[in-house]
Amino acid sequence: MKPRKATRTWLSVLAVVIAVVYLFPVYWMVSSSVKPAGQITSLEYDLIPRGFTLDHYVTVLAESDFLIYLRNSVIVTLSAVFLAVIVGLFAALALSRFRFRGRKGFVLMVLIVQMAPFEALLIPMFLFMRDTNLLDTLPALILVYWVITMPFTLWTLRNFVNGIPIELEEAAMVDGCGRFQAFWKVTFPLLGPGLVACSVFAFITAWNEFLYALVLMPSGSGQTLPIFLQSFQSVFGTDWGATMATSTLFMLPVVAFFAIVQRNLVSGVTAGAVKG
Amino acid sequence: MIEPAAETRTPRRRLERLMPYLLLAPALVTLIVLLGYPAVSVLTTSFRELGRGELVRGEVVWTGFDNYVEVLGDSEFWLITLRTVLFTGTCVLLTIGLALLLALLMRRLPSGVRLLLQVSLLLAWAMPQLSATTVFQWIFDQNYGILNKTLVAIGLDGFERYSWFTTGLSTMAIIATLIVWQAVPFVAMTLYAALVGIPQDQYESAGLDGASAWQTFRNVTLPPLAPMLALVTFMSILWDFKVFAQVWAFRQGGPNGGSTTLPVLQYVEGIARGNFGVAAAISVLMVIVLMAISAQYLRLLLRSQGSEQ
Repeated sequence: MKPRKATRTWLSVLAVVIAVVYLFPVYWMVSSSVKPAGQITSLEYDLIPRGFTLDHYVTVLAESDFLIYLRNSVIVTLSAVFLAVIVGLFAALALSRFRFRGRKGFVLMVLIVQMAPFEALLIPMFLFMRDTNLLDTLPALILVYWVITMPFTLWTLRNFVNGIPIELEEAAMVDGCGRFQAFWKVTFPLLGPGLVACSVFAFITAWNEFLYALVLMPSGSGQTLPIFLQSFQSVFGTDWGATMATSTLFMLPVVAFFAIVQRNLVSGVTAGAVKG
Repeated sequence: MIEPAAETRTPRRRLERLMPYLLLAPALVTLIVLLGYPAVSVLTTSFRELGRGELVRGEVVWTGFDNYVEVLGDSEFWLITLRTVLFTGTCVLLTIGLALLLALLMRRLPSGVRLLLQVSLLLAWAMPQLSATTVFQWIFDQNYGILNKTLVAIGLDGFERYSWFTTGLSTMAIIATLIVWQAVPFVAMTLYAALVGIPQDQYESAGLDGASAWQTFRNVTLPPLAPMLALVTFMSILWDFKVFAQVWAFRQGGPNGGSTTLPVLQYVEGIARGNFGVAAAISVLMVIVLMAISAQYLRLLLRSQGSEQ
């Protein structure tokens, strides 16, 4: 549909206004994190920072345990994503490249599991980790995030493997490759966008997770960044400058991740949806 | 799968037959141990008297439906359930409505402006939930928040040092704003991707037939969009119903329990108060409520599809 030129201009103006309003919280977070303390706690009205300081970042990095929490978050998230992708990929291959008894049942199970609210398993999960002495240890969170992210990863990868014609592998096998070799050399490289897309989703899920981190780390050792950020305010009073600096630092890995994979991400998100 | 002639020797064939099961085994074991077992366990726990005392002594005390009677007999539970359902409904309606409008808008924009809008949405989407929550708290801060400052600056002096968190309702409204703000980008992008797939010539012929904008939307845009719309609505219900981080981070379910939702109740009852049996019953009821909402929604969906045919 090609709207008339005047309509188009007005729609563009509207879109820019929406974009500005939408970005405001992001802008407000970053700009508050570099504002001098005096401006943060002033009653004057100002949308633009007067002056620039990295004091809040110094406070966070040097005077708090931010780096310990960051380390925990990185370990937990990367381990969970790695496990979910590897195990999900194996299962996706089984479902998409083999016909075997029980296949349909498993597919159905993954579908149902994907729909289930994982939060409802809070109590048994807490008791399970307590009984196995895993409370307050990083493996507890790794296990939970692994199983939260795996059904989705498995499902996405299955769709991607289905999208790669099996004839490619068969041709390689006719040329003398073994089945494993054929997969490794032919199909696996084509799976790149799929692996990236589901890793990003798994990464964001694990990086953000709050409820299980709160419950499975009762003593606070081995806590992750979301918990740190939430408790930060009470620890520092309401040092909004430091809180905004922490929030910005917390967002950086996600933005970096998005920037690196954005091309694959878009093709992954819209795979199947945009055709024709 | 073709069977190359060289692979007919029996050990290889046996491996070939076992292969899918070997590939599946890690996923299956994970799901059974880390999902299946807790799922059974939440049910059995909900029929037990299990507090800190029983936990330490390792006692197993079966109490039948006592936990459920206790939870269902508490008017507070019904209030919290109603609040959770209303909260979910509001968030889902706003998310889907705004996202659909944005997706329709994107379709009509010149590519440069569209890219600007999409990058803004993507950046907001990339913002971790807890980062976004702290920013919203900062924006709504009583003394130095930019919202109160702005309202005062435009002449509404009553908002000087106004507290947005004195009632449960206003607290819930701010949390809902945050949830919708976070959820719109993904839904809008998904709907936009589906919109792009609708062939252009259908719009041209609708234009030739003199169809109004609403008729075009109803007859050309909506039918191919419906499955995706149904899916994102369903997913939004699932997400918004179980929101915990943002609700907890704002006021821990306060003031005076005024923003307590079912996931918060589950946490407070189980982890904070140590009534694991009661909390497990709440978990089970939570799933039942969620299923009831979804079932009703699915029925509506089926009916609307039936009437269109």
